[in-house]
Amino acid sequence: MTMEEGKFGVQEAVSLVATAISFKVFFTSPSLAADLVGNNIWYMTLISASTAILGFTFIYLLLRRFPDQDITAIFSETLGKPIGFICSAFLCLYLFYAASSSITEFTEVMRDYIYLLTPSSIIIGIFVVAVMTLCLLGLESIARLARFLIFPMLFGVLLVLVLGFKNFHINRLFPILGHGTLKTLTNGITRSSAYGEIVILAVVAPSLQGIAFVKKAGYTSLILSGLFISMLLLTFALTYPYYVAREITSLMYGMATLIDYGRFLQRVEPLFLFVWFLSPLIGISGVFYCFISVYCKMFKISDSRPIVVGSSIVLFAVCLFQSDLGAIASATIQSIRNFGWIPAFALPILALVIGGLRKKGTKYHV
Amino acid sequence: MCKRILSAIVIIALFSAVLGGCQDANEIDAVVRVLVIGIDKGVTDKWRLTVQFSSMKETPGGGGGEEGGSTGGGTGNGYSHVTIDAPSFFEGIDMLGSSISRKLFFTHAGTIIISERLAREGILGDFIAPLIRYKQIRESAQLYVVKGEAMDFIVENQPTIGNTLSKSLELAAKQPDNTGYTISVTLNDFYSALKSTHGQPIMAIAAVNDFKNFKRDGPRWKNEFKKGGEYKPEDLPRHGENKIEFWGTAVFNRDKMVDELTGGENRLLLMARNEFKRGFFTIRDPKSPDRIIAMDVLKDKNPKIKISFDEDGPVIDITIFLKGDILSIQSRIHYEEDPLLSTLVTALEKDIKDDLDRLINKCKNQGLDVFRFGESAAKYFATIEEWEKYYWNDKFKDAKINTKVDFSMRRTGTRLRSSPIPRLKGEE
Repeated sequence: MTMEEGKFGVQEAVSLVATAISFKVFFTSPSLAADLVGNNIWYMTLISASTAILGFTFIYLLLRRFPDQDITAIFSETLGKPIGFICSAFLCLYLFYAASSSITEFTEVMRDYIYLLTPSSIIIGIFVVAVMTLCLLGLESIARLARFLIFPMLFGVLLVLVLGFKNFHINRLFPILGHGTLKTLTNGITRSSAYGEIVILAVVAPSLQGIAFVKKAGYTSLILSGLFISMLLLTFALTYPYYVAREITSLMYGMATLIDYGRFLQRVEPLFLFVWFLSPLIGISGVFYCFISVYCKMFKISDSRPIVVGSSIVLFAVCLFQSDLGAIASATIQSIRNFGWIPAFALPILALVIGGLRKKGTKYHV
Repeated sequence: MCKRILSAIVIIALFSAVLGGCQDANEIDAVVRVLVIGIDKGVTDKWRLTVQFSSMKETPGGGGGEEGGSTGGGTGNGYSHVTIDAPSFFEGIDMLGSSISRKLFFTHAGTIIISERLAREGILGDFIAPLIRYKQIRESAQLYVVKGEAMDFIVENQPTIGNTLSKSLELAAKQPDNTGYTISVTLNDFYSALKSTHGQPIMAIAAVNDFKNFKRDGPRWKNEFKKGGEYKPEDLPRHGENKIEFWGTAVFNRDKMVDELTGGENRLLLMARNEFKRGFFTIRDPKSPDRIIAMDVLKDKNPKIKISFDEDGPVIDITIFLKGDILSIQSRIHYEEDPLLSTLVTALEKDIKDDLDRLINKCKNQGLDVFRFGESAAKYFATIEEWEKYYWNDKFKDAKINTKVDFSMRRTGTRLRSSPIPRLKGEE
C-alpha cells in the first residue's frame, strides 16, 4: 500500500524546496546569525549552503542506490525495520518540529509588526487551516502553487531590495571577517541545517521523474537558495550595523520600513507583506506534508486525509503552547539550526554507510 | 458538484466572518493619529510627554497659536496637542486616554522632539530605548533636539503654508538637501550611532524663534560681512508668522548632548559625511574685500577618505569634491575666466577648508567623531574584536587630519561675464 503523491517536474520541485529553505530569512534567523558571527553573515550562509550541497550529495548517492524509493523505505531496507522505523520517526518529529516552530515564529513576528492586537490563536488557526487545505490537495498542488508564485514573490523581494538601496553603506561590511574566521566557519557548517529542507526531496523522491531529476532539483535548489539568502543577508549587513542587526526581530521587514523617497514613496512594506504571507505558507505546507508523508509510510497508511486533519489539530495545539517569541528565537529556532543537520544529513549518511556495508541497493541505476 | 459549491460558500462565509472582524481593524475616526511626539523631563514624574495630532475638525484657516486655552492642551489650525507627566512613555499614552476619547495611534508619528535639557543630562538612552522598541513608531521618524522645551515647540508647531502639518514636517525634513543648514537624522540613525563603536551620534536642532534677534531699528548695514551659516539656532534675525525653525546640529557623546553646531558648520559636517547636496555660499570678494560673491555650491563626487595608522594614532586624509555656479559678483569684476577664475576658486576652496579644519579641530578636541571617519577606519581591521579593542572613539582625539577641498566652477549663471556699471564723470 503506497500513498499516491502525484508527479511534478524539476521546476516545481526547485520552487517548493527553495521556498521552504528561503522563507526563514524573513524572520528571526538572520538576527541570530548576526549575533553569532557579526557582519559577515552573508558569506557565512554560503559556507552553510556549500556544506548542505555536500550533505545532499550523500542523500543523492543514497537515493541512487535505491531508485524509486523514498527515504522511509530506504531507512527500513538499510538499517533494518526497527532501527529504520526509529530513524523515520526521528525525521518525522524533526519535520513536525520545524513546521510548528516556523508557524509560531511567523505568528509572533506578525503580532510584533502587523497584527498587533489579533490573538495568536486566530493567526495560527487561519494559517493551520490554509496549510491543512494545501496538504489535503496534495504534494503536487503544493509544488505547482510554489512554481506559480515563485516569480511574483521574487519580484516583491527584489523590489524591496532595490528600493532599500538608499540605506546601504558599504563600510558596514567591515571588519570583513566579523567575529573571526573560525567562528564563521564553525557556525557556517553547523547552520547548514538552515538548508535542511532539502530532505523534502528524499521524502518525495518517487514523485520526481527519476534520480537524474532529483539530482538536478537538489543542486539547483541549494545553489539558488544559497545565492538568494546570501544576497538578502548582504543587504541586511549593508543596511544595519552588526550591533543593531543582532537586536532586530525581522531585518527584512525593518529594512522595508526604512524605505523613504519622500511623500510619494514611503511605507512600502505592504509590497513585502505579500511575500511574507505566501512564502511561509508554501514552505511550511511542504514541510508539514513531508511529515504526513513520512508518518503514513511508517505506519503504511495509504489514505493520508484523516491524518492531515488530525495532525493539523495537533499542530495548532503545539503552536499555541510555544507562544513566546524570545523562547522560540533563542531556544527552538536555534536548536533546529544547531542540530537540524542530524535528521537532515546525518541519518541519510548513516543509511548510506550501513547500506554499503550490508551491500543493500543497486550500485548504479538511472 | 452542488455539494462542493455549497462547501465553498460555507468556507468563504466563515472566513469572511472571522477575517472581516479582524481584531486589528479600526474605524478611521475611532483613533487619533499622533503626528508629533514631544519628550521633556517631567516635573511630577520622569517623562513629560506631549503629543500633537489632528483634531479632525475643519481647519479654521489662518492664524496660529493656541485656542483651547487649557494649560495641558490646545487646538489651532485643526491640530491639537496634549501634555502629561508620566512614569513611562507607555503609561503616559494610557493616562492620556483619560482626556482623549479615542485611542492614540503612533504609526504616523513622523517627528520626535526631545528637549535640550533632557539631551544634555546624559540620560537620553533611557528615553530612546522604549521608542525604538515600540511597534507603532517607525524607525524612519525624524528626531530633533529642541532649544527649550519640547512642549513649547509643539504649541508653536502649526502649518503656515497649506493646512497639512504632516506635509510641512516631511518637507522640513527634506530641507537639508536644499540648504544644508540642518540635517536629517532618523530614529534608526540615532539609535545606530548611539550603539556605534565607529563614532558619536548627532541630531538636528529645532527651535522656537521669538524674533528677538530681529532688530527693527538701529544703525543700518554698512559693509560688515557675516556668513548666513554663522547664526546659532533660535538666533536667526528673522520675523514672520512661523516661529519654529530647524537649524544646526546637536553633537552627542554617547547619549549626552555636549555641543552644538551652527548652520554653516552643519554644511561642512554634511560634506565630510557625504550627505551634502547643495547650498548657496557667500565669500568675501578676493579683489574687493568689502563686497561679496555668492555661489551655488553642489556636491561633485563622494569625498575621498584615506586612513593610515602611525604610533601616535590615526592619520586621516580627506578630500571634498565640490562644483558650483556663480550666482552674483557684487564688484562686477570679471571672475568668469582665468586668471581671476582660479583666484575665485582658490578663495572658495580656502574658505571651506579653513572652516572645515576649525570644525574638525573643535570636534576632535572633544573626542567626537561625528564625521563617520570611524566607519572608514574599520576597513583596516580584520575582525570586530580587533576593531573594538582599538577604541576608535578614544583614539580620535589623537588623530592627524589633513583636509583638501577640490572645487570646480561649472557655470557662470545667466551672464557670461561681468562688467562695471559706467559712472558719471567725477563719480567714484
